[in-house]
Amino acid sequence: MSHPSALRIFLKTVVARAYPRFVSSYRNKTWIITETLLPLIGTIAIIYVYKALHAPSRYLGFVVLGGVLLAFWQNVIWAMATNFFWDRAAGNLEVFAMAPTSMAAILVGMALGGAYVSGTRAAFILIVTSILFGVTYTAAGILPAVGVFLLTLAALYCLGMMLASLFLFYSREAWHLADAMQEPIYFLSGFYFPVRSLGAFLAGAGSLIPLTLGLDAMRQFVLPGTPAFIPAAWEVLALVGQTLLYGVLSQVALRYLEQRARHDARLMLRSS
Amino acid sequence: MSAAVRQWRGFAAATRLGWEISSNWTRPLMFVIYSVLRPLSAAFILVVIYRFISGGTAGTSAYLAFLVTGVAFWSFVQYGLAGLSNGMVEDRGEYKMLKYVYTSPAHFYVYLLGRGLAQLGSAVASTFIVLVVATVALRLPIDPLRVNYPLLLVASFVALLAVIGIAMAYGLVLLQARDAHGYGELGAEVLYVISGAIFPISVLPGVLATIASLSPLVYWMELIRRSLLGSQAIRMFPALSDADVLLRLLVTTAATLILAHLVFGWADRTARRKGLIDMETNW
Repeated sequence: MSHPSALRIFLKTVVARAYPRFVSSYRNKTWIITETLLPLIGTIAIIYVYKALHAPSRYLGFVVLGGVLLAFWQNVIWAMATNFFWDRAAGNLEVFAMAPTSMAAILVGMALGGAYVSGTRAAFILIVTSILFGVTYTAAGILPAVGVFLLTLAALYCLGMMLASLFLFYSREAWHLADAMQEPIYFLSGFYFPVRSLGAFLAGAGSLIPLTLGLDAMRQFVLPGTPAFIPAAWEVLALVGQTLLYGVLSQVALRYLEQRARHDARLMLRSS
Repeated sequence: MSAAVRQWRGFAAATRLGWEISSNWTRPLMFVIYSVLRPLSAAFILVVIYRFISGGTAGTSAYLAFLVTGVAFWSFVQYGLAGLSNGMVEDRGEYKMLKYVYTSPAHFYVYLLGRGLAQLGSAVASTFIVLVVATVALRLPIDPLRVNYPLLLVASFVALLAVIGIAMAYGLVLLQARDAHGYGELGAEVLYVISGAIFPISVLPGVLATIASLSPLVYWMELIRRSLLGSQAIRMFPALSDADVLLRLLVTTAATLILAHLVFGWADRTARRKGLIDMETNW
């Protein structure tokens, strides 16, 4: 009997892990509601803050784009970074470790499926809030913005893969850590305001998260007049660098931490 | 053992259990840090938005105080509503102990009050730290010696009754669903928009503004700002005196509690009839 090639196993694993996420995007109706409405309502709340402050209507686009990317960040935190943690609690992680495939393939599958699910939620948020509040975008900037968006997702999900390995080392505190990676990250990444408002130091620190630079570049392309943090071309270059860096680091971290987890018997630790 | 002692012991056990579960048995210091990071960051997001739009002009502290006080005290709703209603779903699905609570000598209301009180402990710490940090960092016009503490305490006590009442009814309604994960946060988020926490309800469209004016949380937010900031508070109801706002808070809270009791009773009967109390939810 001939054995399938390593590449074939890798790709089959990616598809197998992504499949439940594709299916869940329409099968689990209760999740559709929470995954869509939570970022949507949060975005609407901030739009009303802008309205209460009599901000020019072109500023509302900042918030809408932030809300769109917020859906992806929540997915990265709750369905990527913490996923091995949940898998361990459910008893799946030990099965993953025994399967004749690589953890990296499982993570890539999770990322692809997660990006698809979040994409459907984000599209809904973009359409609803843009129509409700009359937000318009520069047509000429849409194509480059889509390019930056895809690049941002690549870097973001590589970061998510890296965090997934790190979260294996948290026990009960993982839950609180994930919770704490919401509003503080919304703040540092400038989800609801131009990140330049934070000043060079804080915005520079926030730039370690790909969303910060991606969001700033997208705003520059589709919302002219946005106070830019750094020129969009530099941000694109930085995103390419982050994709490579986080991609490599995620594999290194995964290999190292998987060994540590095996050694410390953390693959089977129940800690939900 | 007298009935009162039994209820008290049930209440104390529920409070302790609520604390242990909500902190997930983490170290208290880490739990406090994590708990404070979120509301503190939420406050600073609004501060930056405000500074960005106003351009940092002088005389902006009144509106900053409006934003910060709303976010700081919102922890009570976040913890009280989301925490307690999620807790009921988790008790059934994750810990599989809701049926034992139902069959224990303590009244179910008493148990839920205990669980709710544990959540409020976290909220007090969070609110206090956010207020202190923001007041010092942003030089907000909050003078601890001039705060109207009786008004603040009475308004907060009444509003918290409403929050716990809503959470109990909402949590029991959520038992009707097999998978209600995240719905506690969703409920809190909806209230966030219609409670005047971060913007005056007059900004909302007509229907939403009318619905918002029926919520006790709007009057609570107004009284918090008046008691903390005095004459410097930006008022959502400038035509109303403190007593008028308090009266509205009392009336809307009473209405909310009656409605919550009716919904709770209906959801409880339905849950018992359909066998939802010990339903396996594949958590």
